[in-house]
Amino acid sequence: MSGQYDILSPWADADPMPLKGISPRVINLTGKKIGLYATTKRAPKPILTVVEKKFKEIFPTSEISWYLSTQHYADLQIEGKNKAQFEEWVKGVDAVVTAVGD
Amino acid sequence: MYETISIEEINKPAVALINEGFVNDARSAASSRGWPGLRVVPESVPPECSDMDEIEAGVSAAMDDIIAELTKPLTAEERSPKPREVEKPSRIVFKGSLKEINHFFYKRGWTDGQPIIPPTEEDVAEMLTGTDLPADHVVAKIMPRLGKATVEKIAINAVMAGALPTYMPVLIAGVQALMDPESRFGVFEVSTGSWAPFWIINGPIRKDLHVNSGQGALSPGDIANATIGRAMGLIVKNIGGARKGIEDMGVIGNPGKYSLVIAENEEASPWEPLHVEQGFKKEDSTITVSFPNCYWQIMPYSTDDKGVLRSVTYNLIPGRTGAYWLILNPTQAKFLAHWSKKDIAGFISAHALTQVNRRPQYYGNLPDLPQDKGLLMNPHDFIPILSDPDMIRLIVAGGAGMFMGLMSGGSGMHGPITKKIKLPDNWDKLVAKYKNVVPTYMRY
Repeated sequence: MSGQYDILSPWADADPMPLKGISPRVINLTGKKIGLYATTKRAPKPILTVVEKKFKEIFPTSEISWYLSTQHYADLQIEGKNKAQFEEWVKGVDAVVTAVGD
Repeated sequence: MYETISIEEINKPAVALINEGFVNDARSAASSRGWPGLRVVPESVPPECSDMDEIEAGVSAAMDDIIAELTKPLTAEERSPKPREVEKPSRIVFKGSLKEINHFFYKRGWTDGQPIIPPTEEDVAEMLTGTDLPADHVVAKIMPRLGKATVEKIAINAVMAGALPTYMPVLIAGVQALMDPESRFGVFEVSTGSWAPFWIINGPIRKDLHVNSGQGALSPGDIANATIGRAMGLIVKNIGGARKGIEDMGVIGNPGKYSLVIAENEEASPWEPLHVEQGFKKEDSTITVSFPNCYWQIMPYSTDDKGVLRSVTYNLIPGRTGAYWLILNPTQAKFLAHWSKKDIAGFISAHALTQVNRRPQYYGNLPDLPQDKGLLMNPHDFIPILSDPDMIRLIVAGGAGMFMGLMSGGSGMHGPITKKIKLPDNWDKLVAKYKNVVPTYMRY
């Protein structure tokens, strides 16, 4: 019990991930097409319904476009069966609010 | 977060609405994918909320932030993030006594709360005799951090768990099973549902390692059952970087995360063993993983074949989703020997019914499941609890007595994931060296 031990680290190395900057924002949301993305969990749809209502109050000329994921485990990089449809939707909007539900 | 990343990858500004309790988790997820500047708006809507007043209040409070995060110009750091200074622990990370080492490791967040065996150079070298792979061979990069699971890092965590060198091939195959893209491990390891990896060992290695498939197989007391699961838990934490309350957001947690390892009692089973069902040869040794989060034990209502199966049927829970493991003890397996596994699953699936209004789908939860159709039905009509008999898998294990086990929870995209355990050339010698590490209980 009183011995001294040199101990190896259990913590693993990870390759540095190339860092990416986020996209430029829209200067003003007036008249813009705002995307609302909901996962399949219960809360995102009602949460984003309220977001939609608020956006319409604040930016009456804005358009809202929904994307409801149909994949229960929505890691699109792994389960990309709807990838083309998803990408087309993203390209058609100016900015997106996502809601996971937790 | 991954959805938000996918949107930013298409060069569209996005903001993620995240419950305030999950912000750390979200930031770790974003950073691990190279997006440290992803914009997040914390909100106070309770997770999975169905109360519109709560939702209205939470969203209203967050609305100004949502607009700001979509419109506020980028900072230089957001436009072009600089690599963060990440501490890289040196190979020899500490020198001290057993007690000092345990306190140091605990304070660094590198244990499961139990004392560890200090991973000295000498003990790790001994652990490495359990594989022919070189120490720097990368078995996989483990999510969420994509930490490199080199053979040496696996061995270090195995020493800490108290594992024997003969467990190394099992641990290596276990890492491969977790990182199979079809395992859904990336979701289960950090999910609020507290899913625990359930490891089933098949084939001749069960005997070589004394993996318990008999009396109290899931209780403490067997070094293989206890330390294989424990080592895998430490690997997930220290190599994958899934830390409780930071990335692993299990709400209640799960004692199965300490270790949930069993061998199938293939000799007592009238059916082909699990690994043969999964496409391997009977003489192969394999490890299978799935991710249940509930375990309960049932005394059969009667001991004839249908009595056993009815007991299972009546104990399936309407609110559960995902796959089931039925663990029949050898006596029950005998009663059911004239049934096929498929017929057993078919019987349970056909008879496990519940009223529509007892399913979560009736209340708008889990809308993607087939029972969604239930919304159009009379709430008191009966529907199957299971959408598919394949959701029930069966193994034989356990000892004398009549209780059987049921586990429910998550599985891979197409069921549990099984990997072949590859043995080193010196396997027989190695087994001979450690085979006598077994408890001998004195009579009193």
